[in-house]
Amino acid sequence: MVLLRLEGVTKRFGGLVAVDHVDLEVNEGEAVGIVGPNGSGKTTLYNIISGVYLPDEGKVFFEGNDITKLPPHERTPLGLARTFQIPRPFGAASVKENVAIGAMFGRAKANVDEAMKMADEYLELVGMYELVNKEAKLLTPLEKKLMELARALAMKPKLLLLDELMAGMNPNDINRIIELVKKIKVKENIAVVSMVEHLMHAITQFAERVVVMHQGKKLIEGPTMEVLNDPKVIEVYLGKKMVIEGYEG
Amino acid sequence: MAFFEQLASNLIYGMLLGGVYGLATMGLSLIFGVLRVVNVGHGAFIMLGAFTAFWMFTLYSIPPIASIVMALVIGLALGYLIFMSVMRRLLDAPELSTLLAMFGIGIFIEELAKFFWGPDYVGYSWNIGGISFPITEIPFTKICAFISSIIIAALLYIWFQRTKLGKAIRAVVEDREGAMVCGVDVNRIYALSFALGIGLTVLSGVLVTLFTPVGINVYMGGDYTLKAFVIAVLGGLGSPWGAFYAGFIFGLLENGSYTLLGLIPGVEPFGLTRFVSFAGLLVILLVKPTGLLGGE
Amino acid sequence: MRRYKPLLPVFAIYVILLIIGATTPGLWQPIMFIMFYIGIGVALNNFLGLTGYVDFGYVAFLAMGAYGMAVALNYFTELGFGAVALGFFLALLFSALLCIAVGGVALRLRGAYFAIATIGVNEGLRYLIEGARIWGGSEGIVLSGKLRKAFGPDFANYLSTFVADVCLIIVIFVASVITIYLINSRVGYALLALREDEDAAKVVGINVTKYKLIAFFTSAAIGSLIGASAWTLKLTYVFPEDVFFIHYTVEAIVIVMLGGAGTLLGPVISGLIYGALKYYLSVILPGFQLLAFAPLLIIIVVAFPDGIVGYVRKKLRGKSLFEYIR
Repeated sequence: MVLLRLEGVTKRFGGLVAVDHVDLEVNEGEAVGIVGPNGSGKTTLYNIISGVYLPDEGKVFFEGNDITKLPPHERTPLGLARTFQIPRPFGAASVKENVAIGAMFGRAKANVDEAMKMADEYLELVGMYELVNKEAKLLTPLEKKLMELARALAMKPKLLLLDELMAGMNPNDINRIIELVKKIKVKENIAVVSMVEHLMHAITQFAERVVVMHQGKKLIEGPTMEVLNDPKVIEVYLGKKMVIEGYEG
Repeated sequence: MAFFEQLASNLIYGMLLGGVYGLATMGLSLIFGVLRVVNVGHGAFIMLGAFTAFWMFTLYSIPPIASIVMALVIGLALGYLIFMSVMRRLLDAPELSTLLAMFGIGIFIEELAKFFWGPDYVGYSWNIGGISFPITEIPFTKICAFISSIIIAALLYIWFQRTKLGKAIRAVVEDREGAMVCGVDVNRIYALSFALGIGLTVLSGVLVTLFTPVGINVYMGGDYTLKAFVIAVLGGLGSPWGAFYAGFIFGLLENGSYTLLGLIPGVEPFGLTRFVSFAGLLVILLVKPTGLLGGE
Repeated sequence: MRRYKPLLPVFAIYVILLIIGATTPGLWQPIMFIMFYIGIGVALNNFLGLTGYVDFGYVAFLAMGAYGMAVALNYFTELGFGAVALGFFLALLFSALLCIAVGGVALRLRGAYFAIATIGVNEGLRYLIEGARIWGGSEGIVLSGKLRKAFGPDFANYLSTFVADVCLIIVIFVASVITIYLINSRVGYALLALREDEDAAKVVGINVTKYKLIAFFTSAAIGSLIGASAWTLKLTYVFPEDVFFIHYTVEAIVIVMLGGAGTLLGPVISGLIYGALKYYLSVILPGFQLLAFAPLLIIIVVAFPDGIVGYVRKKLRGKSLFEYIR
């Protein structure tokens, strides 16, 4: 079943067309990778899906309902959750409170006590149990990313949008996170859309389907390995061919 | 027609005062434009300028127009001192912090002034004659203040357009990150703009004394803080030139509406005029927060 | 109940203060003076502390309360205690109306724009009352003669001393309970999130406008009850230039910041410190209290942005005392 559908979504900033008539479908429980160089419109697309921006044209559907004009706080309870490229923790709150806030106001709609329990669970899951009482602003950038992942998961989303989650992580962490997200995705039947700029290797391990964005448009879409070997993609990613070859070799 | 004569004379007065209002708001707007700091203590600096004029005149018989330079120097030094001791540490702090710090500084200056100069109204009389019109007489002092405002604003404009520092300040207002990338030392621009903003404000306090019929006292600033907010918002917060033009509009509207509201029986035109100006402030904030005269 | 433990030290402070005041001759008035500052701190904290929005026009809500009580006592004097009850009702009503007006305009704005708008509301309202000669205009409402004539000097005296003080004390106790309830509930977490990052809070699913309004209304309601009891009922007069005096807002802000914004105990401790200092400074240095407090505010903002209780809480993280201090 189609969970998220974008129809001809367009967003302009002044003269710049950040997202140009993009169609996209994400099915329930599916893992999709969105790949594209910096400035290809990925983050704008996320902001449109999560409701931070209203699109200038086009429509957004979630489970068949038109959510194009809904404010972010009304979309989240439907089952949307996202992380940010640059983490945005609630700085003065503790790590546990940060995650609990997700559980309280996301689809989970937990009460305060339940939310605190869920926070513990998800923090343990991402391996941050010993940091629960720390002030969120004192975390390292990597820890902030993991906390945001826990916060997003505690919202019990149907669709999880990850924004450059793995950028800046070392290979061990990346593998750990990929295994973790895969496991939860299967367990809770979450559709995961993961946005990456580089790291094609990581995406091949994870995504079933890949969408490549280029200059605000959808360049190509299809099963992961097929797309990554497509000459058009290799052309856009001229410098990144090495990574793909490295994986294949 | 006594009414129209009064309206005409009030409008002339409003225009002259408006020039001073405009100048008195430029510093506030400059500081907001560059540092994104709202100087909630604005009025205290106006008061300092007013007392500078008062003391220079009373002690040394120096005419207020000459005190301008003195006030500017005092303001620049004070602004630099405040920036270095307080504001510099708050640049990355939440907005709440800078608001409260400026509030505290404003009150501190007022209380210190009260400690030394007492709470009473004082005044001086600088009489250099005036121009008589059939309807009214306009003292030269007010005309002097008006012309000084325009000259200072014009000099400032030239400085902003022509000098390297002026251009750097404009660059920071328009695009902070961009300016930083282009090698502008943003912290230096902050310090300079803050000092200049305070300098302008203290300076304008000198001219304000030429328009205060009941004299000056240490709490006179509160009024000017509030008016400056209205004017700054009218001109588009952060735009010193917008503020200068908005000063004229405000001066004219204030005096015009005062005269007109006086026609309504059973009300106090003074209070209602101010109500109208604050209601206007709220409407502008709601409808077009970038200011009526401001673009983006 | 565990989450209500932080009320213990707060109530202990209130009770100790009141016992000292009631048993030591000459100390009741100073204690009530202190309670007033604790009260406005606790009241404003529910908005400023919990949301991080600076409301420079906060005193307008106290003013609305003061006018609500004054209108009831002035025009419905014959109702006796009923007039007092009506006064509290009108206090809440007037402040709620102002809340709707301000909430509709100012709460759409952020940061500096919000702060400027609130100053505009405070001053605009004051000059509307003075300019249009509402409720006596700038001459205000003076009640003492009327109350004495209607009730006799004894009952009038009883109202303005005993009843006024008791009302203020009840309001403060209730206000603290409301604060801890807010902090512990979903509302508190929503406010915590929006105070730290409003855009991220929206994306997490928080209806920021709704929660800001909850905090705003709560804070305004408590403020109006304080204005009604500590000003009108106690002093038996209302003058616009007094009740809209922006320095009360400043004092409340200083108290919230000094104690620790968003904490329960913070405004209580700092209200106590501030009230006591102000009372005795006004004896030693009449008229120059602000000279001492302005630098204090600057120092707090620059050097101790977490306030007293915020600082203590950081030190206590993970210790058993931690859950008693919020």
